[in-house]
Amino acid sequence: MKKLLSIALATSMALSLAACGAPASSTASSTAPAADSASSTASSAPAESAEPVTIKVFSNLPDRTTGQGLVEQTIFDSYMAANPNVTIECEELDDAAYKTKFKAYAAGSQMPDLVSVWGQPGFIDEVIDAGLLAELNPDDYKDYGFVNGSLDGFSADGKLYGLARNTDMAAFFYNAKIFEDNGWAVPTTYDELLALADKAKAAGVAAVSMDGADKWPLAVYLTDLMEKVDATGVMTKNHDAITGKDFSDPTYTKACELLQQATTAGLFQPGYETADYGTAKNLFTNGQAAMFYMGSWEMSMASSEDIPEDIRNNIKVFTMPTVEGGKGTATDISAWNGGGYSVTASGAQKEEAIKLLNYMFQPDQWTRIAWENGVCMSAQDFSKFATGSETQTQKDLMNIFAAATNLSGTPLNDMGTSQFKTVCEDSVQELAIGKIDAAAFLDKLTTVG
Amino acid sequence: MKKAYSNKAIIFSLVFPGILVFIFAILAPICLSVYYGFTNFSGIGSYDMIGFKNYIELFKDEAFQVSLRNSFLLAVGFICIQHPLAIITAAVLDKLGRHAEGFFRCVYFLPNVISVAVIAYLWKFIYNPSFGLLNNIIKLFGGKGDFNWLGSGSAIWSVLVVLIWHGFGWGMLIYYTGIKNIDPSLYEAAAIDGATNRTTFLRITLPLMRPVIQVNVTLAIISALKQMETVYLLTNGGPGNETQFMANYLYKQAFSSFRYGYGNAISVIFIIVCILATQVLNRVFKQDEGVAA
Repeated sequence: MKKLLSIALATSMALSLAACGAPASSTASSTAPAADSASSTASSAPAESAEPVTIKVFSNLPDRTTGQGLVEQTIFDSYMAANPNVTIECEELDDAAYKTKFKAYAAGSQMPDLVSVWGQPGFIDEVIDAGLLAELNPDDYKDYGFVNGSLDGFSADGKLYGLARNTDMAAFFYNAKIFEDNGWAVPTTYDELLALADKAKAAGVAAVSMDGADKWPLAVYLTDLMEKVDATGVMTKNHDAITGKDFSDPTYTKACELLQQATTAGLFQPGYETADYGTAKNLFTNGQAAMFYMGSWEMSMASSEDIPEDIRNNIKVFTMPTVEGGKGTATDISAWNGGGYSVTASGAQKEEAIKLLNYMFQPDQWTRIAWENGVCMSAQDFSKFATGSETQTQKDLMNIFAAATNLSGTPLNDMGTSQFKTVCEDSVQELAIGKIDAAAFLDKLTTVG
Repeated sequence: MKKAYSNKAIIFSLVFPGILVFIFAILAPICLSVYYGFTNFSGIGSYDMIGFKNYIELFKDEAFQVSLRNSFLLAVGFICIQHPLAIITAAVLDKLGRHAEGFFRCVYFLPNVISVAVIAYLWKFIYNPSFGLLNNIIKLFGGKGDFNWLGSGSAIWSVLVVLIWHGFGWGMLIYYTGIKNIDPSLYEAAAIDGATNRTTFLRITLPLMRPVIQVNVTLAIISALKQMETVYLLTNGGPGNETQFMANYLYKQAFSSFRYGYGNAISVIFIIVCILATQVLNRVFKQDEGVAA
């Protein structure tokens, strides 16, 4: 009996003390590459030694079969093919979960070697301050064709800590067929845009499909309006307002009022404040909304087989129209460089990770593959990969970007701390639904800023 | 066997794993929470001790007050709506007998078997203002059918309906088991004495169910205070912070705003509120017992 008891006890002890297993990280699997990357392997880092190397990557792109996740995976696969001694282990989570686990990694002693980062003060400032990121050599990227200013968000005190992945642009994707069928013209002024609200209602569709539940698209919309009200230096203005806790500049009040005008006019679909990203996008891709306000990364809608042909072939783009009395012209647009990559200072394979990063951003890698597959606009010069066979959506976005005279920079919600981001996004939603007015909104920003 | 249980070494080795788990999984995290509640830790880098600043801010924080109010509102909803309905349903089920009893027991318990994520998305679609089931039903009866159920003003009530509906089966099942444990001879005696169904329910079922009701109501209040996942998936506290609940607000502060210190201060208040609620309930039930005796 005693023997039996001690066996049972030993088992229970072993179970209770068993350490948790390491989180399962998916080893880079070979998905079908989106583009032929053979041409680029010639310039890749050659296999210097046969010693096996495992680079751990932590990415915010969980979907490895479409979009940016596929581009990333394609590059990893081609790098591993060119460097047989290298194994890339990639762990992927979506943005919210990613940021939480990033903090957990940061609290531990060793981080993955290559990580996704956001070149915005709300995320990167404290990461750089804590000394978590390895310094990169700017000279390595002289010939990489990074768009002027795109690496600013990833730099601090003149040192470079990361590379920007994309150039993001806020835009109205519109269904040209709905516009044509109803005889609507693309709005050139904000009033014309607001007038579409009633016209759309009469036509039985929503005017603009808006992802209001996630809140940040509303903050981007607000920044977009600021750009139209006060063209230059929106990012500096935001930075100064947040650090100085002073949002008294009339641009803010004006932009807030314009946002409320849109919601009062019924520009967004009913219940937009509870519609999440997928719901808002579906409304547009099912032809139930004439427009969809989102970032340029949604250019991939035009090449997505999941979207009915008569809709995906009719997606065109325009940017926020000019506002009455505003200084911004049609070519002053809301664009910024958000996501990117950094190498961690504490990673076990720092040098190898830098080699991989440099490989990823050779112009014929991320930029070419992303553009050729209609996924997104990189933060590098992508125009040289234009073949003329792009989708109409891609062409529109490329033309808008090429003609841009001024870019807004990071949206307001991403300019402060994480706390500022939460408060700003919560409040901008309250502002949009008319629960608070412009003064109360700015008051909240002042308190937290 | 008796000899084994009187051996101190055996007693120690039996209790030790449990104590170890309690210390490292419950006690230590609570102590750490109290400690971090006094800091401005963001999750990364260094932090400072800031005394009671987090707690002072907490008592001024409108969103926290809303979340506390919503948690209590849910607890009241559970006690006043969900549980009376659950007891009555359980009593009726008990009387049904045969196949119908088993069938309805399964049907009422079904929502508890389905994953919370599925439940949340199911209701998201039901409430959708453009193509939701609810608005379509209203349209069918000639209504306008364009109401935004999860919009400002109505969101909290819509969320409460989901939460009350979702927890209903669980409460009902516990009451049902309680009723099944009541000696049938009592009902037989009552029937011989000519008691009606109503009298039987009020004079036999309810008094004998007292311990079950006590456990069930305590569990309901704790689950109301702890409510997180359904709200997180359904509205994430929105619009604004209208449907914010304590646990969700804690998560938001700690993992979206990355204010670990503040989040920990919320968790400390959270623990205190839960302990207080349990204590108050125990007192209430004890007093009742005194009166009943």
